[in-house]
Amino acid sequence: MSTRRRTRKNTKRILPRLRAVLLTVALTAGLLTGCLQDSGESADEAKEITIAISSDTGTLDPAGSIALSWLSYAPAAMDELLTFDENGEVEYRAAKSYEVSEDNRVWTFHLREDALWSDGTPVTSEDFRNTIERALDPASGSGYAVYLFPIENAEEIYNGEADMDSLGVETPDDDTLIFRLDEACVYFLDLLRLPVYMPSCRTYADSADSGWDKNPETSLSNGPFFLKEYVPDQYFVLEKNENYWNADAVNLDRITFRFYADTQTMASAYEAGEVDVATSLSSTVMELYEGKEDLYLTEQIATRYIYFNLNVEPLDDVRVREAINLAVNREELCRIVGEDTEPTYNLVAKYMKDKNTGEYFTDGAEQPFEENVSRAQELLAQAGYPDGEGFPVLTYRYPSLEMDSDTAQVLKEQLKKNLNIDIELEAQELQMNYSSRHAGDFDLCRMNWTADFADPYTYLSMLLSNSTYNCSGIRDAEYDSLVEQSDSEADPVKRSELLHQAEQLAVGEQFYILPLYAMKGVNLVNPDITGITRNPATGGLEYRYADVSK
Amino acid sequence: MLRYTGKRIVTGILSLFVLATATFFLIHFMPGSPFQSGAVSQQVVDALEKEYGLSEPLISQYFSYMGNLLQGDLGISYTEPGTGVTEIIGRTWPLTASVGIAALLTAVITGTGLGILRAVTKHRAVKSVISAGEMLAAGIPGFAAAFLLLYVFSMKLKLLPVSGLLTPAHYVLPTVALALYPTAVICRLTGNSLETELRKEYVVFARMKGLSRSRTVLTHALKNAYLPVLRYLGPAMAYLLTGSFAVESIFNIPGLGREFVNSITNRDYTLILGLTVFMGTVVILANLLTDLLCAWLDPRTRRSISGDI
Repeated sequence: MSTRRRTRKNTKRILPRLRAVLLTVALTAGLLTGCLQDSGESADEAKEITIAISSDTGTLDPAGSIALSWLSYAPAAMDELLTFDENGEVEYRAAKSYEVSEDNRVWTFHLREDALWSDGTPVTSEDFRNTIERALDPASGSGYAVYLFPIENAEEIYNGEADMDSLGVETPDDDTLIFRLDEACVYFLDLLRLPVYMPSCRTYADSADSGWDKNPETSLSNGPFFLKEYVPDQYFVLEKNENYWNADAVNLDRITFRFYADTQTMASAYEAGEVDVATSLSSTVMELYEGKEDLYLTEQIATRYIYFNLNVEPLDDVRVREAINLAVNREELCRIVGEDTEPTYNLVAKYMKDKNTGEYFTDGAEQPFEENVSRAQELLAQAGYPDGEGFPVLTYRYPSLEMDSDTAQVLKEQLKKNLNIDIELEAQELQMNYSSRHAGDFDLCRMNWTADFADPYTYLSMLLSNSTYNCSGIRDAEYDSLVEQSDSEADPVKRSELLHQAEQLAVGEQFYILPLYAMKGVNLVNPDITGITRNPATGGLEYRYADVSK
Repeated sequence: MLRYTGKRIVTGILSLFVLATATFFLIHFMPGSPFQSGAVSQQVVDALEKEYGLSEPLISQYFSYMGNLLQGDLGISYTEPGTGVTEIIGRTWPLTASVGIAALLTAVITGTGLGILRAVTKHRAVKSVISAGEMLAAGIPGFAAAFLLLYVFSMKLKLLPVSGLLTPAHYVLPTVALALYPTAVICRLTGNSLETELRKEYVVFARMKGLSRSRTVLTHALKNAYLPVLRYLGPAMAYLLTGSFAVESIFNIPGLGREFVNSITNRDYTLILGLTVFMGTVVILANLLTDLLCAWLDPRTRRSISGDI
């Protein structure tokens, strides 16, 4: 009885309640429309741009575990000692000059006396040493620590075998920074753009996991912009640093970087006018925006290629490796894979410039080999597999990304048609693919390498016998000696020659790898924005001196 | 009732324990390492694994993890050094939950409304339109609906923003995309069971007694017809509160669903485990809540769980 009575009472309340709910919905809808109309108006006249970038990953601590976020933050917020402009000329930033000893082992940098942190305190040589010392502690998680190893005792310190006092970095006074190297290193200046060579303010930057790097109060910068706000996974805001020594050359007042996990959404956000720049889009955008001013292509300093496992028969036979290289039709491959790819026959990135000549490095020598199907068939027959007879089925492992999957299909097709050999395709999750590659657990494995610094050494060093990236069992004393000689060759022309020789040996004679293509970066940029420059090492966009006309 | 609730909570905790254990071993058997990426040398990977205790035997890692878990410590993220897993959940969950709750409310209100309308209407056309809409909404996958909404309302009509959750307007599209499927289900459940209910004798009797049609439907029939919908709300709530990877990616919402998929891709062991345990808790609680709600509303269920029939 009691329940029933309660029910009846409840039911009487239902209708008013329903009315209340409807009213709430209507009010909320009204509120939403109100907000809609409000947004889009901005009160101040400040010059600002919004840039869409990929996911929020990694720290902003130069000594910590760096990933994508740093690559957007640093070019606008941090000054390295010096860098090279697009023509290969030295551009002094935190340093005003440098000297190097005759044996290329002692590098002395003189810092600008007027260089200030964004809070107005001076930038000193100790701030540079601060990053280096912290990066040499494995707990910091720096993936770039290996690039400190040319410095005396750095590797020993990293491995816990030596004391920090023995480190070959000296700071005789606030404005002088001296690096002592174990061996001559002619590309040392190119390393300076890496995070581990950037300063971090001694006052706040104490450890990689205290969170100083994303807190605007403690995250100081010595470049044109400083961190104003950081909302993890959503966006961060940089504001003009009035204390910057070259502040007069900086035009923008504010740059907002917004994170986008999906490139499709990023393109939509650009289309809807929510962002002024969208970076690293897919090649379909090229077709959509063909002929429009917004489309902004950059040359990525990267090579996509395939490792042959030399410990697997018959890939230990150079004739087989050459046959496969000659049988692939890269023009056709690139037509199918995407407009943003271009065939390459080299290991060194197609778009990497040679600082001596200002031309592409790969154009400085003859193409290592030419595709030739009939020659490929001949070679395969010589190796004991006429018309592919008796050739074992090789497995190609690649990450299950769209571009790599398309590539794999085309390769399988071409090798079947041209050499009558079968390739089994095995798509893997990206992390699995890294694991297989590191473990040498593959016949053929996809590899992609984006330059760490603007020197061919970043590519050629990978095939050295002792390199951790040499996952395919290459042990070539002649190659090793050529690359090592180039390390200490002070004459840039002679050095260039040695590097070309090494590449010719590895790619054009021994065919250790199967180069496929170079890629273009597809970006959309609001035509009102001017003065965007490109980083010569990575090909990424830089906004430090950009301007916007409205 | 109290005993039943207690029993359910104990089973819930046990399930969480099994879930954490199974996940722990499964993720460690996955190839890969949180520190491996395309451009990090093996020497660095080894040093980092040692530093973070990942080179110790798996079983001792398990015991130390479980020990910390019992004290409520979910550990720190490997790929976001210095950030606790709890902190990441605290940052991502409010976003997921706010969209999820908005979607749940939308689904309950519109789904119930349309379901009632479908059951009582005399117009065949209205019935068919609702049925067709229901099929469409249940059939379109969330990500497809999301793209469609984005294309029409943001890019063509330029009415609503594309990405993020910066203003209330940003909530509209993701909420609609998420609410479509549950709305269809609620509409179907309400409509079907209300139709069955309306054919029953007590309804005829109520009408004979002179009760108005709307009162008969809304108070008598709907109350009985709504039980299946309540039972569905548990899973629906769990689904909406743990976040949809597709919808979160498309509308660029840094929520739980997206974080979960990223953590797996990054092999961020502690984060995967922390999120699994958290989502498990949400699912268990959501289901417990609906069961208790159903028991409270329906004497039959209540009696069956108390054992005194």
